[in-house]
Amino acid sequence: MVGLPYDCLANPLGAVRSTFDKAMSSDSSAAALDGKDWGAAEVFRQFLFDDGGLSQVPWLSSSTMKWVQPNTLVRFRGMIQDMLGNEFYVGAYKDGDKWITNKFADGSHGPSDASSDVRIWERRLLYCTPVPGQNSWVECAPDAMRNPYISAMSPLREKRQREDEATESDADMVEPGHAIEDSPNPKKMREDGVAFEPFNLQKVVTEGSTSNSSTPPVERNSVSCLVKIYDSPESDLKLNEVFEFVGIFTFDPDLTVPIDDKEVMDDFCEDELLCLPPSKVPRLHCVVHRKLGPSDLVSSPHLELTTPVIKEIREALIGHLTAVLGGDRLPAEYILLHLLSRHNDYNVQVHARVDEVAVGKLSLNLTCFNKENMSVFGNNLKLVIGSLMPFTECLPLTVDYLNSVTLAPKKDYNTNRLVSGLLQLAEGSHLTIDETPLQSGTLNSGGLENAQVLRSMMESQKVHYDFTYYKMEMPADVQFLILSEGKSNILPADLVLPFHPSSVDPASGVDGEMLKAWRWYLATMKSLPHSIDPPLQKAVEDDLVAARQADRSLSREDFSRWLTMGRLMSVSFGATSLSMEHWQMVKELERLRKNRFQGNL
Amino acid sequence: MASDSSPVNTRDGQSSPDGWPTSPVSNTVSSPGDRPRRKRGRQSSYATPSPMPTGSRARTPQATPTPSSNARRRGRARRSSATPTSTDDVPPSSDVGEGNEDDAPVVYVWGTNISVQDVNAAILRFLRHFREDPQQIEGKYMRMINHVIEMEGDSLDVDAHDVYDYDSDLYTKMVRYPLEVLAIFDMVLMDMVGRINPLFEKHIQARIFNLKSSISMRHLNPSDVEKMISLKGMIIRCSSVIPEIREAVFRCLVCGYYSDPVVVERGRINEPTVCAKQECLSRNSMTLVHNRCRFADKQVVRVQETPDDIPDGGTPHTVTLLMHDKLVDAGKPGDRVEVTGIYRAMSVRVGQTQRTVKSIFKTYIDCLHLKTTDKSRMDVQDPMETENEASTGDDDSTQKSEISVEQLKELSKQPDIYERLTRSLAPNIWELDDVKRGLLCQLFGGNALKLPSGASFRGDINILLVGDPGTSKSQLLQYIHKLSPRGIYTSGRGSSAVGLTAYVAKDPETGETVLESGALVLSDRGICCIDEFDKMSDNARSMLHEVMEQQTVSIAKAGIIASLNARTSVLACANPIGSRYNPRLSVIENIHLPPTLMSRFDLIYLILDKADEETDRRLAKHIVALHFENPNSSQLDVIDLPTLTAYINYARKHIHPELSDEAAEELTRGYVEMRKRGNFPGSSKKVITATPRQIESLIRLSEGLARIRFSEVVNKSDVIEAFRLLEVAMQQSATDHSTGTIDMDLITTGVSASERMRRENLVSATRSLIMDKLTIGGSAARVMELLEELKKQNLGGGAEVHLSDLRTALSTLSAEGFLAVHGDSVKRI
Repeated sequence: MVGLPYDCLANPLGAVRSTFDKAMSSDSSAAALDGKDWGAAEVFRQFLFDDGGLSQVPWLSSSTMKWVQPNTLVRFRGMIQDMLGNEFYVGAYKDGDKWITNKFADGSHGPSDASSDVRIWERRLLYCTPVPGQNSWVECAPDAMRNPYISAMSPLREKRQREDEATESDADMVEPGHAIEDSPNPKKMREDGVAFEPFNLQKVVTEGSTSNSSTPPVERNSVSCLVKIYDSPESDLKLNEVFEFVGIFTFDPDLTVPIDDKEVMDDFCEDELLCLPPSKVPRLHCVVHRKLGPSDLVSSPHLELTTPVIKEIREALIGHLTAVLGGDRLPAEYILLHLLSRHNDYNVQVHARVDEVAVGKLSLNLTCFNKENMSVFGNNLKLVIGSLMPFTECLPLTVDYLNSVTLAPKKDYNTNRLVSGLLQLAEGSHLTIDETPLQSGTLNSGGLENAQVLRSMMESQKVHYDFTYYKMEMPADVQFLILSEGKSNILPADLVLPFHPSSVDPASGVDGEMLKAWRWYLATMKSLPHSIDPPLQKAVEDDLVAARQADRSLSREDFSRWLTMGRLMSVSFGATSLSMEHWQMVKELERLRKNRFQGNL
Repeated sequence: MASDSSPVNTRDGQSSPDGWPTSPVSNTVSSPGDRPRRKRGRQSSYATPSPMPTGSRARTPQATPTPSSNARRRGRARRSSATPTSTDDVPPSSDVGEGNEDDAPVVYVWGTNISVQDVNAAILRFLRHFREDPQQIEGKYMRMINHVIEMEGDSLDVDAHDVYDYDSDLYTKMVRYPLEVLAIFDMVLMDMVGRINPLFEKHIQARIFNLKSSISMRHLNPSDVEKMISLKGMIIRCSSVIPEIREAVFRCLVCGYYSDPVVVERGRINEPTVCAKQECLSRNSMTLVHNRCRFADKQVVRVQETPDDIPDGGTPHTVTLLMHDKLVDAGKPGDRVEVTGIYRAMSVRVGQTQRTVKSIFKTYIDCLHLKTTDKSRMDVQDPMETENEASTGDDDSTQKSEISVEQLKELSKQPDIYERLTRSLAPNIWELDDVKRGLLCQLFGGNALKLPSGASFRGDINILLVGDPGTSKSQLLQYIHKLSPRGIYTSGRGSSAVGLTAYVAKDPETGETVLESGALVLSDRGICCIDEFDKMSDNARSMLHEVMEQQTVSIAKAGIIASLNARTSVLACANPIGSRYNPRLSVIENIHLPPTLMSRFDLIYLILDKADEETDRRLAKHIVALHFENPNSSQLDVIDLPTLTAYINYARKHIHPELSDEAAEELTRGYVEMRKRGNFPGSSKKVITATPRQIESLIRLSEGLARIRFSEVVNKSDVIEAFRLLEVAMQQSATDHSTGTIDMDLITTGVSASERMRRENLVSATRSLIMDKLTIGGSAARVMELLEELKKQNLGGGAEVHLSDLRTALSTLSAEGFLAVHGDSVKRI
């Protein structure tokens, strides 16, 4: 192994060890290091961020897995899909007179002598999967990665390649799939019986015209990973959050000893890790992790953040959306607001009681879609959204589909794993629900439950995870777009808007720079803070009172929606506080929308 | 290896059989064979067999081949601090002293200055002398030991709180070094039992429970290993019962000689290679005789955190429990349990057949005691059930553990507690304060009364909310449902009569008819929330009559005749017909409920969406604040939900207020006044403003109000407030709009007295009109003509005459045989 000017990239464990030795030499008790970092993370942080080493770190994907050496540094981006609890391990042991650490390593290096002193430390196990619905443009460009180990290719490679292939076809892998086609093969699904089976089927189902055709390559190219977290407060990492991990990749095929003839005791030993054998799921000993917000996923264009620029981008984006929607500008405006919406959950703390109101979400229901124009506008719309938002999912709603899948994640107590459902989505995902293929039919109890889960997710931004003996509410932040023929009654959205295309205008191609700017615009504007000035607050209140005096049917929901729209409107112009102008624009939009209804009826 | 680790003192031998074939950490090092000198306890089936002996056994370095923590090592008992290596030379001497009070050298728990003899003596003292109450002659545990001996039981439950109260030092030692201390504990216990009844063969072990502090599952960390811990959780999986071999007997295939029982050693049984019979001595001829071996039950149980312990964005943690013997099947999946046990880590072997271990540990809890706690968040027990509860005793402690009674009492002493509770109830539904007060009374409830004659009066308060859509009725309902001790939330539209009460079903397997409880029966002693009450089928609604007054559900079908208790409060909400409340019509007409049912509601609230600018402004402010302001600023001084539930719980359980004389007087006075109000001067008509049902409601309400204050006496002020509440509710629902007075007839018959008067006037006016205009058998008159005439005369007390009113009058007259109506024409007969 390399000596002191250790190579953090190729020999990260060397760095760990040498820092450990250094720490031990100054303070000779390993007990003092319980649950603490001795500066190893600092070394890596410096290497990665200060010395610009981050770009050299290869991404972990199924293609890179073939050549990435075990015990080297890799990067991995994924969503925390399940938490497997804590693991106790021999953190440090005394070999002779010297303390040796096992931190950031998987190996079975144990003390050779049973009597030697050991310290037990703990680490957290997280099961991370590729972000569901991640669009291909989000992915880190694979060509940027050269293979530094090309010459060091070992015979192991072939073996691992085989294992990789096994991984992909492995039914045990819980790959959060994307929307299944409205393929009516519930029979087959039912045969499979297992909750998560339908998701695997999706891979088999050929991508049809209605699907989000940009996603599959990403899914194929990504791997799930068992990430081991050291010395990090629990509140740092939450379920369904998207993280970028930099850590030491380990891959220890020795550890897989298939225990087929389990003796009785194994009833006890059987644990969650057995279904994630190291040969199939790589391990990552996380050194540095970083939560990814919406703006971390887009590359920022070289633009000044000035009001005119923002306005220009906004105008161009609306123009593009209008073109996609057949020249209908009103829905384009609404879609823009919808794409900017975000469920700000700071209210949850205060109203963490029975009926919190989800504030800030703006679900949109575009009506007047039918089978014919769906294939034109609907798909284009989906494609556009897919090219703008980092994580998008599409769900064609049919009775068969509702009856056959499990949307909400479910805890499987046999494997002690959380089985991912379609609705286990990362923060800030966009979900398009296509209600046009919905036919009349009977929902069975599972279908009913699925419909309820969808509904509650849309109304309160909460998903009820099924833990058999109880349901657990998990907060979600997902934008809902519903495309339906009439007003959707299964999923009552905040906004219902009839869609009136005037021309079938094939959406003109957009150049990459433009897309980049739009993505950046959406991501940045979305996270803008927002406030309201007292005078305007008064004006808005007066407006609301006057409106309610004029029309008694206005409810709390309407007011709430207006205020949300007001916020989004000003945010879409890059403003951080509501102005009268934007408030008037909202009222105008709402008036137009209302007119459209009256014209429609 | 075994030879050099011969047991050093009495605690060693007790539980030598090892239950840990695959656990190298907890392997037993001793050779149990050299300890069978004491006749009892040797072959005991210890619930936690391996840990105790391991820990207490004197060890040689190579005896434990696994990596082990310092905690482990510290926990190991050394026989002598001075001569840690001289483990082999003392066995005989230590064996003698059961009480260890003899001249054996001082034995310390390894790595500490805890003397084994001291602990031994402390335990002995504790068992002998602990009394809950100084008046008792016999110590609590002496009594229990005797009881156990009589019952031939095999365990003694020891309340850790008792240990702490008696000797906090012992408690600390026990929690920190459970392996050693418990082994000593058991040994002391055995000695005591042996003295009381030398023939008692069974092994009795101490089961510690109710530790001073319990730990949350996710906070278990390496420093807890080998400590006694207690945690709460929910069982999610149980393995099947595993028979674990403790002693094996072999038989020689050649000569049929049965070997002596071979005990599990280090997780394995060594098959004798040579027949022990001197005449035989054949090699490799021994075979296991299964039915002469001794097995013990073992079960692996997995426990998961309860939902309330999980922080935001986390998934529940799980922990594995190991149960032995009597603890097997003590809980089943879905049970909420409180577990006391020893947290242990065991290293994982690389392969089943390999000795090498991974650097990873599996953790589990060796269960000492398991208690199933109540399933529901707060299970209210009414007085009747408190008696049987008292016998189980410790149940109480779990409920109030989180929020202490003192805290609640402190809260109740606050002068504005009533206001505060009102504020805390559904704090994000603003306004509707009186409705909330009513709901609060419902939550606290009145006292149920059963007269010796058999008549019973319900203590449950029923409330009906009627109102315009969008007035957060359903939210209130949901809130109460979550808050109430037990309750079912149903929607009227989806509920059938049988679904609410009880139904008879045929068991698909046995074909027997079984009674399945419906929503009302299931919410016995709770609150049944029924949304969309108006949309309920008449059939289902009629079932409610019995429930709401008699509080039982009687069914007679399919050979089953039963009367089930349904002591439930009903909280219903309904929308008016035509979705908006029509103030011109009565409540009955508005919500289309039979008056018989209406009268069973103690309080009927009309939640109307009035076109009031002030309210609108508040709404606007509220929503704007929700969106823009830092929500913390708007936070009121409210009681949080757990405290509120605990408060209600405690009040319902422990407070049973009675009417004071003063209050009774006020009640009578107020009631008489209320009735009097109907006979206002100058009016001959009789308006009923209050019925006996109201006085019962009033008593219930005032009892509920006293409960809110944790007061055992109903004060005059409670009664006055109850009157106010009732009046507020009645004013809204039972006000006769034409006169402005309260009229109970509105509720009970649906027609107000003034309305009845008006109708009578109209009938007589019509009669006289027809007498004037038509002759018997003469030409017919059109109805519209009559209406015009009447309008001209302006009869009917100045009110406008409608066609429908006239038609009603005509039909009354035709029923009298005065005239005949054919379509539009009226003929006098």
